[in-house]
Amino acid sequence: MATGGYVGKILYVNLTTGDMEEIPTADYEEWGGGHGMGSALFFDRVKDKTIDGYHPDNLVTMMTSPLSGTLVPSASGRTECNFIGIQQVPVGWYTRSNFGGRFAGELKFAGWDGIAIQGKSETPVWLNIVNGTVTIEDASGLWGLDTYETQEEIWSIVSGGNADDGTWYGLSTGRDGGRTTQRPAVATIGPAGEHLNRNACVLHDAGNAAGQGGLGGVLGSKNLKAVSVIGTGSIAIADPAALVDARMELQAAHGYDVDAPALEGPVPNFAFYGIIEGHPGFGPLILNVDQPARAQGCMGCFKNCRRRLSNGISNEDQCVESLWWVSGTSQLETNKATDLLDKAGLNVYDLINGHSYLNSLYQMGILGPGKAIESNLPWEKYGTYEFIEQFVDAIVNQTDIGADLADGVSRAAIKWGRWDEDTSSGLLNRPQWGYQQHYEPRLEVEWSYGSLFGDRDINEHGINWHVHWHATVTGMIGQAPLISAEDMVNLIAEGTGVGDPMGWNYSPDGIYTEAKAKAIAWHRHYTRFWKQSIGYCDWAWPMFINYNNRDGDFTGMSPGFEPRFFNAVTGKNITWQDGLELGRKIWNLDRAIWVLQGRHRDLEVYTNYVYDTPTEAPDALPMYLDGEWKYDPGLGRSLDREKFEGFKTTFYTVEGWDTATGWPTRATLDELGLGKVADELAAADKLGA
Amino acid sequence: MADIDKKDTGAKGGVSRREFITGVGGVGVGAVLGGALLKGILLPEDVLAIPASEGYLLVDTKKCAGCQTCMLTCSLVHYGRENTTLSRIQITQNPFANFPEDIVQAQCRQCPYPSCVDACPTGAMHADPATGVRMVDESKCIGCERCVNACPFTPSRVQWNAEDKHAQKCDLCKETPYWNTDGGADGKQACVELCPMKAISFTRSIPTQTDAGYDVNLRNEHYGHLGLPTD
Repeated sequence: MATGGYVGKILYVNLTTGDMEEIPTADYEEWGGGHGMGSALFFDRVKDKTIDGYHPDNLVTMMTSPLSGTLVPSASGRTECNFIGIQQVPVGWYTRSNFGGRFAGELKFAGWDGIAIQGKSETPVWLNIVNGTVTIEDASGLWGLDTYETQEEIWSIVSGGNADDGTWYGLSTGRDGGRTTQRPAVATIGPAGEHLNRNACVLHDAGNAAGQGGLGGVLGSKNLKAVSVIGTGSIAIADPAALVDARMELQAAHGYDVDAPALEGPVPNFAFYGIIEGHPGFGPLILNVDQPARAQGCMGCFKNCRRRLSNGISNEDQCVESLWWVSGTSQLETNKATDLLDKAGLNVYDLINGHSYLNSLYQMGILGPGKAIESNLPWEKYGTYEFIEQFVDAIVNQTDIGADLADGVSRAAIKWGRWDEDTSSGLLNRPQWGYQQHYEPRLEVEWSYGSLFGDRDINEHGINWHVHWHATVTGMIGQAPLISAEDMVNLIAEGTGVGDPMGWNYSPDGIYTEAKAKAIAWHRHYTRFWKQSIGYCDWAWPMFINYNNRDGDFTGMSPGFEPRFFNAVTGKNITWQDGLELGRKIWNLDRAIWVLQGRHRDLEVYTNYVYDTPTEAPDALPMYLDGEWKYDPGLGRSLDREKFEGFKTTFYTVEGWDTATGWPTRATLDELGLGKVADELAAADKLGA
Repeated sequence: MADIDKKDTGAKGGVSRREFITGVGGVGVGAVLGGALLKGILLPEDVLAIPASEGYLLVDTKKCAGCQTCMLTCSLVHYGRENTTLSRIQITQNPFANFPEDIVQAQCRQCPYPSCVDACPTGAMHADPATGVRMVDESKCIGCERCVNACPFTPSRVQWNAEDKHAQKCDLCKETPYWNTDGGADGKQACVELCPMKAISFTRSIPTQTDAGYDVNLRNEHYGHLGLPTD
């Protein structure tokens, strides 16, 4: 039992009945927090796992971790959401998405380790959490507002207008009822979610979004506009001094020193170099700083990736949000386009190449006025802000082509009869589950394999920062890599505990080996626990290689600091390996849910372009070729169907799954303490042999 | 421990310290802050009952990233638990606002003429005799909150700790039982040490300040290298 970190209870709300329940956190503490707790709750409370994501019984969990709201760096601010998705094809898998900011911390300060929401309200509502008091409020006055307007309205309602003044205000009457200076933390859907858009997100503050899976549309189907939370309570810490010491040590050894950086980008104002040295404000990547601005971070962060700008447009947006409309004629228009999505509550990633795919169809004479795919949007103005504004409006309000695109680009392509042809040619480069290609699936397989064996585009960068980006970013400015390919893979192999550097060999043969299968399995287990259940942020953790070290080597903060912080906060005494084993347990629980939903080996195949078309762009990954390690661009690569089928057998074997079906076996589930999960699979006749 | 109110009682002739502070109360926040604004004000020596603090926290309003690390740190080193409401430094922000108005940092100014000390009826709020840092003797606090209300700033730099039932304010980390480092005006300050942006610094001199805050720029050429403003 932990002596710190947890605050004791999980809120369960049934929107159909209005009933609420306090679930003792201790009942689910064995799962760590976040995703693990969410999946365990889902398994217990959703009897029919095969329901559609829009079904009222779909359970949405918004979970914190013992580290949320604490000094643990880049782990304090994440809120992990689990739910049955509505975005994926052909099946809306049980899925996850998380968001940063300060919601998780405020939820803990209010005395809740998480929220579980089930049912459907008959009318629009929002959930108002003020410390231990939870009310379901009428949202008729909020319905139709964008995500920014909604938050401002709720801030004013909850704080009585005081939050705008920055003053202390009481959360109840009396001296001891708790006071705060903070705005309530609000997670809200926008008009897109209200309209049940399959790519609608949940947004918090200016730029924190749970995007993948369509959570906004799921909440919209429940008539739940927003969840607001504000708290004034404390989180017990088992060993406070150890926590402070660990933070100081980490920051000194591995942080970017803004006053005297150990490694400074060779080029001024070059955001991309932040991928290597992690400087504050690097998050928008392709967009360098074009106006007075500050770096901005989530609660407790030591990196502060994001920015707030003097014109306030695209505040806190970063990464793919900043990239989605780079064809704009100015950085201002790019930023304005990003805010369009934020305010509408739309996930960027379905559209980032979606609009260019559609433009290709227009250029090909397939889409446009009077064409096979009828659209009267101003495609001739593609590239302008005028176009993208109308495009987003059409999707949000489901007019013109937006009526189809509200179900996502993939479903639209299926409806139009384009899916098979365009995913075979790669014109529509969506390798698995209808998700937009993120990193090259024919080369960077820790990403593509992990995505296919799971539920979504994994969006996990801990390995990717190094194997994909290091040589790429240094190459952008003509700099030699700071670390050799051999040293890179050795540090990763050692840090992970996997041991065999061949797990990170991306050569033509290396991507089909047992070593690769073990590395993929490690990645699934690590992220399921340390990242998605304990809340270590994807943009900071794991860190097996750190280029900021002052002592000349590249040793990173993983694997030492993850358990060190966890133990300081909770008073437990777990190891890195204990966490990986818990991650394996959670991964298998998720796998069982997917199996109940219909997952089978036969479904775990990529779209044709991954197998049938070669890569055309260089991707400098570490490869073991001709007896030596090197960064190689991997040009002309495609995935070999037969070899990949062989790899699947190897991977399933490593995981202890039935190689014919990909289903977990009773032996594997029993070993993990998941006997009741095995029973449910057996009852459905889906237990691996 | 020195008791400020006893000093007041013993002040001879002229203007008492309490009367003096009352007298300047209408002049504006800056008047109680000292520094450049007070250079022209002459005081009889015998009414200057409160020693100046030997330390001040400076926050660079443009360098702060709003991560609240300082708040989490403050709560942790003083109380051994996490609670931003228990932080003696408060960071408020509006995520939709324009830089630099999006974030406000509220730290105690260690006022030369501290209204909080003056308002306290029991001597709980006092100046540390060794360092002059304005502090709370929790054993003497009766919970009247006069100090909280007396602070001329918004939000008040003196807070009511609703969990432990006493007033609290920045002590420059003098009393930090959950930190393995010596704090206080003659030691270190946890928020200074842990701010990842190095946006908080410590000084022994009364800083130049106005009602709007300190004029602090902690950004050097390396900060500018990132494309971020140094002016």
